[in-house]
Amino acid sequence: MLFLLFQLGADRYALPAAEVAEVLPLVALKGVPGAPAGVAGLIDYRGTAVPVIDLCALALGRAAARRVSTRVLMVRHPLARGDGRLLGVIVERATETLARAPGDFQATGLAGEGARYLGPVVHDPRGLIQRVEIGALLTPALRAALFPPETEAVR
Amino acid sequence: MSGAAAHDCWKRIGTWGDRSCPELKLHIHCRNCPVYSEAAARLLDAPVPEAYLAQNARHYAQAKTVARPGTRSAVIFRLAGEWLALPTAVFREIATPRPVHSLPHRRDRVVLGVANIRGELLVCVSLAAALGIPGQAPAGLRLAVMAREGARFVFPADEVAGLHRFDDADLAPVPATLAHAQAVYTRGILGWNGRPVGVLDDQLLFHTLNRSLA
Repeated sequence: MLFLLFQLGADRYALPAAEVAEVLPLVALKGVPGAPAGVAGLIDYRGTAVPVIDLCALALGRAAARRVSTRVLMVRHPLARGDGRLLGVIVERATETLARAPGDFQATGLAGEGARYLGPVVHDPRGLIQRVEIGALLTPALRAALFPPETEAVR
Repeated sequence: MSGAAAHDCWKRIGTWGDRSCPELKLHIHCRNCPVYSEAAARLLDAPVPEAYLAQNARHYAQAKTVARPGTRSAVIFRLAGEWLALPTAVFREIATPRPVHSLPHRRDRVVLGVANIRGELLVCVSLAAALGIPGQAPAGLRLAVMAREGARFVFPADEVAGLHRFDDADLAPVPATLAHAQAVYTRGILGWNGRPVGVLDDQLLFHTLNRSLA
């Protein structure tokens, strides 16, 4: 199974590549006034507006650095009804991939209520890599703001 | 090794230097070494200008264009008013016009006679007759030599446009208005220079031509 690696601060995290539709470079976003913290804005992605969240802002409380290695992952975000929508996720240092079996990941034994999206860890020569669960990336408040219930019903 | 000490170690002690780095025994070439790839990843930490963001935003707002690979190659030629195509692999050469000697006691419309191609007498056939294309016989400004599984034929064409590459996905279905005989031999319709080109099924065509010789 292929994982896409990125960094939050100094630590490395992994996202299953199968859940990523495309990796974009950093793009100019349309701001959304009044959006909850963590929402970076909207991207015009091939004619459709796709909300973008900044994982750095969500996890670390600071916006992602504006660097070439900072990229926008277009992830297929599963909604409650089983239908998927695209969600842009800004991450720093998305420059590597890693091939590992899902079974290589070990549970951490830590459950943070504030970061439910953090999953089990795997280690490589450079240290531990923690898996990020796309489905739990959005807090209920963010989910309600980005994907209001009526848009789910329409699809 | 890290930081400034490693910033160009590949040029000093690595593959592009004096090759004294102990890690080379393990990695053989610097491009396999994590120090080298980390340095490459650091290049991507360059700050981005505003124009870069705006340019990317414009690019990804456009619909994605996927270029289809041209996996098939065909020779496009004209018979009277019809543009047709056959796979390039069946063509041996395009010859200049030369006399076609009719065969005695043969009165069918498909076999025209024999033509001398480089000292060999090859059967000359009328594709227009075989396909049931109406109109007068082609003026025969070009003689196309084709071969498939040991069978060789020559046919006169009015014009040979050349090679064209396409993908099977580019083929449009054969319209129902096409004459029945021609529709049978046509695999699909290809758009070429604004004209419809019928891509012929070479296997079926050779089968018919072989039978017309009997």
